[in-house]
Amino acid sequence: MDVDSPILDIFTNPPSDSGIVPLKAELSPVTEEMKIENVESTPPTNLLDKNVLSAVIQICKKYNLKKTEEAFKSEVHISPDMVSVGSETDVNKLLSAYKSEGNPDLYKDTYADLLKFVENSLDIYKHELGTILYPMFIHMYLELVYNGYKDQAVEFMRTYGPKQEDYYQKDILKFASITMKEQMRSSEIVETFKSNAFIIRMSRDTVSILKRHLNEKDHSILSNIIKNHLYLDMYEGVARNKGQIEITAGGMIGEAKREDNKAKVFYGLLKEPDLQCFYQAEEDDDGDGGGDPDKPKKKKAKKDSLFYKKVKTDPNAPPNDRIPLPELKDTDKLEKVKAIKESSKRITLSAEMLPSICCYTLLNTYYAVSCTEISEDASMLAVGFSDSRIKVWSLIPQKLKAMKNAEQLQDINLEADDVLQRIMEDRSAETTKTLIGHSRSVSKTSFSPDKTLLLSCSVDGTVRLWSLLIWTCLVVYKGHLSPVWDVEFSPHGYYFVTGGHDKTARLWVTDNYQPVRIFVGHFSDVDCVKFHPNSNYIASGSSDRTVRIWDCLTGSQVRLMTGHKGAVTVLSFSIDGRFLASAGMDNSVLIWDLAHGHLLAVFGGHNERIETLAFSRDGNILVSGSQDCSIKLWDFTKFTEDITFDDINVCHNPDIKKNSDHYLLRTFGTKHSPVITVFFTRRNVLFTVTYKKSDDTEGIVKLLYKNFN
Amino acid sequence: MSNHNNNSTANYGTTISIESLKVIAESVGIPSLSDDCGKELSEDITFKLKHIIQDAMKFMIHSKRIRLMPYDIDNALILNNIEPLYGFSSADHIPFRFASGGGRELHYTEDKEIDLSDVVYNTTVKFPLDVSVRSHWLAIDGVQPTIPENPPPVSKDEQKLESVNPIANLRKKENEKELHGKPTTGKIYKLRNVETVHVKQLATHELSVEQQLYYKEITEACVGSDELRRTEALQSLANDPGLHSMLPRMCTFIAEGVKVNVVQHNLALLIYLMRMVKSLFDNPTLYLEKYLHELIPSVLTCILSKQLCLRPESDNHWALRDFATKIISQICKAFNTSVNNIQCRITRLFSDALSNESSYLPTIYGAVQGLQELGPQLVKLYIIPRVKIISPRIDGILERPTSSNADKVAANQIKNILIVINSGNLSSMPPLIKFFAATFTCDISPSNQMLMIHLTNNAISYMITVSLFNSSEFYRTSCHITK
Repeated sequence: MDVDSPILDIFTNPPSDSGIVPLKAELSPVTEEMKIENVESTPPTNLLDKNVLSAVIQICKKYNLKKTEEAFKSEVHISPDMVSVGSETDVNKLLSAYKSEGNPDLYKDTYADLLKFVENSLDIYKHELGTILYPMFIHMYLELVYNGYKDQAVEFMRTYGPKQEDYYQKDILKFASITMKEQMRSSEIVETFKSNAFIIRMSRDTVSILKRHLNEKDHSILSNIIKNHLYLDMYEGVARNKGQIEITAGGMIGEAKREDNKAKVFYGLLKEPDLQCFYQAEEDDDGDGGGDPDKPKKKKAKKDSLFYKKVKTDPNAPPNDRIPLPELKDTDKLEKVKAIKESSKRITLSAEMLPSICCYTLLNTYYAVSCTEISEDASMLAVGFSDSRIKVWSLIPQKLKAMKNAEQLQDINLEADDVLQRIMEDRSAETTKTLIGHSRSVSKTSFSPDKTLLLSCSVDGTVRLWSLLIWTCLVVYKGHLSPVWDVEFSPHGYYFVTGGHDKTARLWVTDNYQPVRIFVGHFSDVDCVKFHPNSNYIASGSSDRTVRIWDCLTGSQVRLMTGHKGAVTVLSFSIDGRFLASAGMDNSVLIWDLAHGHLLAVFGGHNERIETLAFSRDGNILVSGSQDCSIKLWDFTKFTEDITFDDINVCHNPDIKKNSDHYLLRTFGTKHSPVITVFFTRRNVLFTVTYKKSDDTEGIVKLLYKNFN
Repeated sequence: MSNHNNNSTANYGTTISIESLKVIAESVGIPSLSDDCGKELSEDITFKLKHIIQDAMKFMIHSKRIRLMPYDIDNALILNNIEPLYGFSSADHIPFRFASGGGRELHYTEDKEIDLSDVVYNTTVKFPLDVSVRSHWLAIDGVQPTIPENPPPVSKDEQKLESVNPIANLRKKENEKELHGKPTTGKIYKLRNVETVHVKQLATHELSVEQQLYYKEITEACVGSDELRRTEALQSLANDPGLHSMLPRMCTFIAEGVKVNVVQHNLALLIYLMRMVKSLFDNPTLYLEKYLHELIPSVLTCILSKQLCLRPESDNHWALRDFATKIISQICKAFNTSVNNIQCRITRLFSDALSNESSYLPTIYGAVQGLQELGPQLVKLYIIPRVKIISPRIDGILERPTSSNADKVAANQIKNILIVINSGNLSSMPPLIKFFAATFTCDISPSNQMLMIHLTNNAISYMITVSLFNSSEFYRTSCHITK
């Protein structure tokens, strides 16, 4: 920790934060309507312009850009008194968007007036107009606070805070804790609001009504805020109704813009590599081994067909070489063949054929378990603890073994058939192994597809790569510096993605100690990341209540999806890659269509935070596990049959499935154990991992335990 | 914390009180903190605290918990480049204690001093168990097996709702969706999924083959001769979830068993059946209100019946009566509501038995014991006034040489229990009444006798009788008085 502290210090107070970000806010793109506004309301514009201009001069002075400064001065004919004003005050303050000379007592009346206006407008526009109430409220409050009218600000918050939507209340509480100008600077959420325009989607008619109202009343406070802090994304067509607005509302900084979701996403699956020769070899082996000489021939034929049918190409699939993927080794191919063979034995799940569920319960955890992960072949269970250990259990009779040391390895005949078994040290066999290396709580682990590597990320800001052959740490990836919340290996190996408290998701390759892509855009912690099955895209969920999809190739954001009412804590792509399921603090599962970025369905019913999601291997059933000690099975087949893609409008999807009961198949409760992982094995058996909540006596024991260590 | 409840809106702008700050300031050696200073500080501290708690929540979420722990706060502090607070990492809840005095009110946490040498040299400290993994089947082909690792198929709340509010149950049936992992026999379960038209099923209490086997095993073991098996069976009744569907049969079994065995005076079997009842009531997953109409009469029979065994003079049927009264009091505690009035009805039954002149002695014993179990208030109201009628009767039996052995035993039992009750009552009396009682007992003159006859006031007679029963000697004298 001592080593990390100074770095953290730099991180939490990055030099760029104070100077450059607010500048961006000031110069953020202004839409056409806003420019019209600009002309209409001249006095505040002048004031603002002055501020901006003198700020530019300040910056020129600061970086010693004398020629630019002179050129600038001569161009804008700046008066000398303005420069002097600028030099007296700090650049930051000048740049602040919240400076206002308005009468503090006016704010309450103005807001009341706005409320009345929204309330009295026609029903079809009412709800869309209502969307400006929350950002307006926040920005007015911040203006009051910024200008030092603390009492008015508190009064304003008390009066109108409770009137805001439920899903904004958490953010409002954060704002409410800020009552002084000095506190604004250290607050992350204020920074976000200051430097980003709040996005509101409105139909053309609604915008014109709003504009008319503002012109009539001549509220300089309101129009100022709209101009500086709001971005009205206008669309043609009928105004949306209450339900439609509510379902996609909830993002920290408003909804997604239309152009956010315009890019094409190749959501299809990659073409499977040709495994035929390997498959044949396996077949021959089976035959030679003489295990079942009288195995019916028909069965084999069936298997073969299963093998060949995947050759047709998906029009939505990216080319296999879109991003460079690691070449399959022979062992990988063998493993794949094994997986396919095993999957031929799996049962197809449906509403009539529900899965068997095997529940693994972690005992004596003392609330210290922070993550669990099951390897793809269901052979291993990795558990991360808040005391920074990682434990790996073997879930199959074969024990976990370590590789022999170098001298012993030299003696092994490389030609031997069972060379993979021979290199392992039998004496090291254990059912559980512990990996020690992190200095603080482990927040997530991820197995590599070939199961020889394990990634882990931790609150200490590092990501570690462990070998499951020699059971030691191989690489420490430092980059996030603040807590890393999630890590996941690409389904094709080699790549991995992390998400952390620094609001970024990062793409790494295992053989480079620095990230190859940094995805910036979230306004709050990136709580979860997930690879698309074709490895070309990454989904990230965040505390800013949005889900974003990033392109690994270009590093750009290709989808922005709002609608969650709480932080997103878990994501899962459907088996065919078309849909994304996300869930989180708002206790509901949301299903998204990757093709357009539309919300398709909301599955509610859990009473607590959802911790985990999984699709069955045949894609027919979606399972969610929650802190309310239950798992719910959702009928995904029925859902995909029900959705129609015909009436999907470019800007929003009118038909969102909200009838959770219709798709809920079954609820299974555990005995007071929160479900933290659900996982489908290759044969479609559902594994769940839960932990026993410890009672108080165990807590005391833990205390003693700590005393001893 | 994680809910978007509207109550949270009431918390806008809450700050740490200046009083608390002053106390804290005092504890670090700043005796007089000015109000202005306190106000400034409290604003600043409140903001910072809220900031840290918000950050701590993130750590809680990522540790898959819904309980905020001390080390979440530590992590939040580290995140903000502040040295964490050492020594506050307790996994269990530390309650706030309250103290007041000198016009000041204080909330504090108890911080006991621990003698380190105790911890170091104490060899009996158990080392905590390491984390381990245990697996079980949560569901098999979509059906949740009823094993102890799984929650009961029908939770107690649901059972309660079902019996208290049958309309809700009906409504639930209407939109018939077997969403819960109810164990159903394969056949029915399949039918339900296929059928779209609802046909009301006739045999709703159908038991699976396994359940029938279980029922057979359990009932045989409970009334059989093998004590070990019986203990296991009772254990199963008291702990296993999923007995819900078998309850109607179990209760009928018990009720019928009691009926038959009371007639046959089979004490042993009655005891076994009562133990079954007790186990069922002990089972935390069962809600038995629907079956009280069968169970209460059976239990009451075992308390009040005039004869429960073949040889009343030697068999210890008193133990059965005592045991059954304990069950009755348990029932009253758990199920008495203003609607069903169970306690009231049972009390009336006991007091009727007690006031009936022709009641058999064992019945009187049962009634007294039952009232006694139900609470001290009932003792005052029903037993004490009856003592002066019961006592001559048992006295007579005890002194009469012609009375049967069984009657004598019964009389003795009643006498003993009355003494126990009353001595208990006396010790719980206020000292002044004790004094009065003492004077009455010491000076039993004719005038006092008269007084006693004339005093109808419940309180005084209660006082006297209680004091008379203070010891066995006084018991004797009381008999003289009433004569």
